[in-house]
Amino acid sequence: MTEPLLELSGVKAGYGAIEVLHGVDLALRPGTLLALLGPNGGGKSTAMRVIAGLHPATGGEVRYAGRTVNGISAQDAARLGICSIPEGRGVFPNLTVRENLWAATGTGARLKDMEEKAYGRFPILGKRRDQLAGSLSGGEQQMLALSRALGTDPAVLLLDELSMGLAPKIVSEMYETVAELVAGGLSVLVAEQFARAVLPIADSAALMLHGRIAATGTPDEIEDRLAGDYLGG
Amino acid sequence: MTTFLTYTVLGLVLGAVYSIAASGLVLTYNTSGIFNFAHGAQAMFGTFLYWHFTQVWNWPTWLGLIAVIGVAGPVMGAALHALIMKGLRGTADVTKIIVTVAVLLGTVYLAQWIWNPDEARTIDMFFGAGAKVTLAGVTVRYHEIVCLVAAVAIAALLRVLFTRSRAGVVMRGSVDDPDLLRLNGHDPERAAMLSWALGSTLAVLAGVLVVPISGGAMDANMLTLLVIDAFAAAMFGRLRSLPRTFAGAMVLGLTVTYVLAYLPSAGTFTGNLRVSLPMIILFVVLVVLPQDRLRGAAVRTRERYRVPSVRSAAVWGAVLIAVVYLYSLLLPDAGVTAFALGMTFAIVALSLTVLTGYAGELNLAPLSFGAIGTIVAFHFGVTGEGLAARLNVQGVLLGVLVAAVVGGLVALPALRLRGLYLALATMAFGVFLSNMVLRDTTEHEWFGQRFTIFPDGSLVIPPLKAGPLDLRDGTAFLMTATVLFALLGIGLAALRNSGYGRRLAAMKDSPAATAMLGQSLVRLKLSVFMISAGIAGLGGVLMSSAHGTVSQETFTITGSLALLMLVVVAGIGYISGALFGGLIAGVGSAVLVSTFNDLALEHESMSSLYTAVGQLVLVGTALVGMGVGRNPSGFVHDVAEAYRSLRAAKPVLYGGGAAGAVLYVLALTDVIGTWTFAIAALCVLMLLPVIGKSVLEEKGRRETPLELLGIDEPYTDELRARLDRELGLPATVRKGGAGVPA
Repeated sequence: MTEPLLELSGVKAGYGAIEVLHGVDLALRPGTLLALLGPNGGGKSTAMRVIAGLHPATGGEVRYAGRTVNGISAQDAARLGICSIPEGRGVFPNLTVRENLWAATGTGARLKDMEEKAYGRFPILGKRRDQLAGSLSGGEQQMLALSRALGTDPAVLLLDELSMGLAPKIVSEMYETVAELVAGGLSVLVAEQFARAVLPIADSAALMLHGRIAATGTPDEIEDRLAGDYLGG
Repeated sequence: MTTFLTYTVLGLVLGAVYSIAASGLVLTYNTSGIFNFAHGAQAMFGTFLYWHFTQVWNWPTWLGLIAVIGVAGPVMGAALHALIMKGLRGTADVTKIIVTVAVLLGTVYLAQWIWNPDEARTIDMFFGAGAKVTLAGVTVRYHEIVCLVAAVAIAALLRVLFTRSRAGVVMRGSVDDPDLLRLNGHDPERAAMLSWALGSTLAVLAGVLVVPISGGAMDANMLTLLVIDAFAAAMFGRLRSLPRTFAGAMVLGLTVTYVLAYLPSAGTFTGNLRVSLPMIILFVVLVVLPQDRLRGAAVRTRERYRVPSVRSAAVWGAVLIAVVYLYSLLLPDAGVTAFALGMTFAIVALSLTVLTGYAGELNLAPLSFGAIGTIVAFHFGVTGEGLAARLNVQGVLLGVLVAAVVGGLVALPALRLRGLYLALATMAFGVFLSNMVLRDTTEHEWFGQRFTIFPDGSLVIPPLKAGPLDLRDGTAFLMTATVLFALLGIGLAALRNSGYGRRLAAMKDSPAATAMLGQSLVRLKLSVFMISAGIAGLGGVLMSSAHGTVSQETFTITGSLALLMLVVVAGIGYISGALFGGLIAGVGSAVLVSTFNDLALEHESMSSLYTAVGQLVLVGTALVGMGVGRNPSGFVHDVAEAYRSLRAAKPVLYGGGAAGAVLYVLALTDVIGTWTFAIAALCVLMLLPVIGKSVLEEKGRRETPLELLGIDEPYTDELRARLDRELGLPATVRKGGAGVPA
């Protein structure tokens, strides 16, 4: 098997005195989609924040392509090719669509390419390029957030709760785009509460419960376990 | 026609300077979410530097300009951001306001320390006052042309920066979501620092330009307030839109100039109106412009307060009265009078505890409501003449009532406003009051009654006399004020624990959720504003009576801001916070400064040192205010938390009490001086938690019960071996405690 592009080993993290991650092990192989599943409050978002450099790990190691990067700042992580789309809407509500894309060029992309790719994939954004991002619909905002992944050509894409607050139809559209990106060679880590949305396109899956990885395996294996673990069985 | 054109040009020039100042304000607000009250102080400081470079060191004008606008301005802004503003993310509005207010006060104190305010200083126009051209009969000075050109150029440049450059876009994004900016590969702190540097530079430029056109004389307070006038212009653009800010600045400049030109110049009215016009416009703009809708989500901030029970409030009230009485026995008469003044400030401070601490609303001008109470009490409550003059209870009650009603009236249009906007509205009211009403020394005739609101610019407020209680005696005054404070404090504790208090707390956390539960926000806000204004009125009347003679100077907005700052530093959510904040504001710094000044007079060889220390005390209080960002709950909170943990260490508490009693007896029998007693008692108070902590820690180390081992620490092999050993399990006993059972 190939060397993992992104690896957590025994990662611990917390907020103040409360530890949320009690030693998490994860590995994302190049060109695959790993689904990180689990109920609310399991530590998925914290794990994503640790990988993106927004939250410090208090123990264990975070490795990008085999290199230990504990304590990296988020802006450095972004420049190394980690594109993270945070929970909620990853857009600036008081900037226009075009300005949002402009802000996304902080990792070295060009605004022109960025606009081309975004408007080509999501024509609706092209129509609204001078509208404030805060006034877009939830789906359009998520498209705009996803455009950053399209335009900046990252090595790894981190998606946190892409489905939150969106209509099921839009969610499946979003994941179609993600699947295309994976087919194009991108490695993606998706944290998702609603397993059904992401399992069909995942290459492997991990189940996270109470700050630990409870199981890893193929999507089918994990799907069989889901009902029991979600319901606390 | 020529007159009109001349005034129009003058108005536009003033507007130009306002627009430069206001755009700096909008810039920093948009990138850091902090409304910079210290903007005017930065302008003032830069202008004094410019004066120092060009007049004292005789640098040429261009070099002086480069030095202040190119170096001092940006450095000042960047330093402010790096040292102070960076730490303000995630704090409540009041904390943000207080920190910038502290910077304002600190800068003014510092400037008055460096540049003696008693000396006159002037700045000339660029190219001299004689350099001018005449166009269509209107004479325009070169300096005025420079102002206009600079304003237009800056407006255009800022527009380009914000919409046509990535740096500008990133700056605007940094207030929305700094974390997202990081994920995009930008450094939000760098963007914010750049904007602070730019904003500070614009403030300095505005200061250098405005001094010559407003007469040329430099005064630290005046100059600071002059730039505060630009707040109104910034509000035209709702702190967001630069073009509208520019337009607002022009409207403001023109209105102010026309008022001066066309209203009758007899009496003090026009002059006063011209000075307070920007604040009137600010108030109107705040009320008329559409506001943000209610925020749905609860506001999560770092401030935490504990709610006292009525019983503990009553016990502490009794303790306070006893302590104050015992301490007053030690003090000379002058000390008792000063202490009484401080206690009246503490009563005013209580109005902030209920308003800001409990209900989350803001009032930047508590002393102004005190002024209203004072005026009413002066006109309706004084009986007798000369030394026999006394204030009667009806007068005080009427003053309180009117203050409460005015509080309601001010709050009524401001009810839709929240946080910063409300704070600015109250500030506008405060400045308006001290400029218009408290300077109104002319005679009026209303309904056949001839009266003067503020005769001779000062009011003599005699002490209160209620039945047998005559407050001419200092100790009686002090004890009455203390008892009133204690009663009000117990009342507020009861209020906070009642259903009404819980509704206030709910409104503070989430107005939207409170409205959804069927509460009337209007009624809640109005009533809490009236309660607060009434308390401020009561404190104000007593304060004026403690002063004896009051003037406009007693109720300035700077005084109100300093009081608010010290109360926040002490802990605005606590009644004890109001006590300490009020005492420090009322007497603390004044006593310290005058002590050091006396020392300076007595010891001539050391005089410069003592004067410097006296000035340092003033700057130091402002420094403490800047520290609020790090500890937004106030120091009372920390002390209370420390003592809470002391409950387990009773001997330490008893020891502390005994030490205090011994000190008191020593002071009473004149073995040690009053100052020594105060300092030693303070030391005991502060050291007790530290000692207690070390005692507790020693105890704690010995006493972790066996069954709790490994719960809050990693469960190591060593620990397991120790458990086995203590339980006498054979596996480890045989191996000598080092091995691990398989």
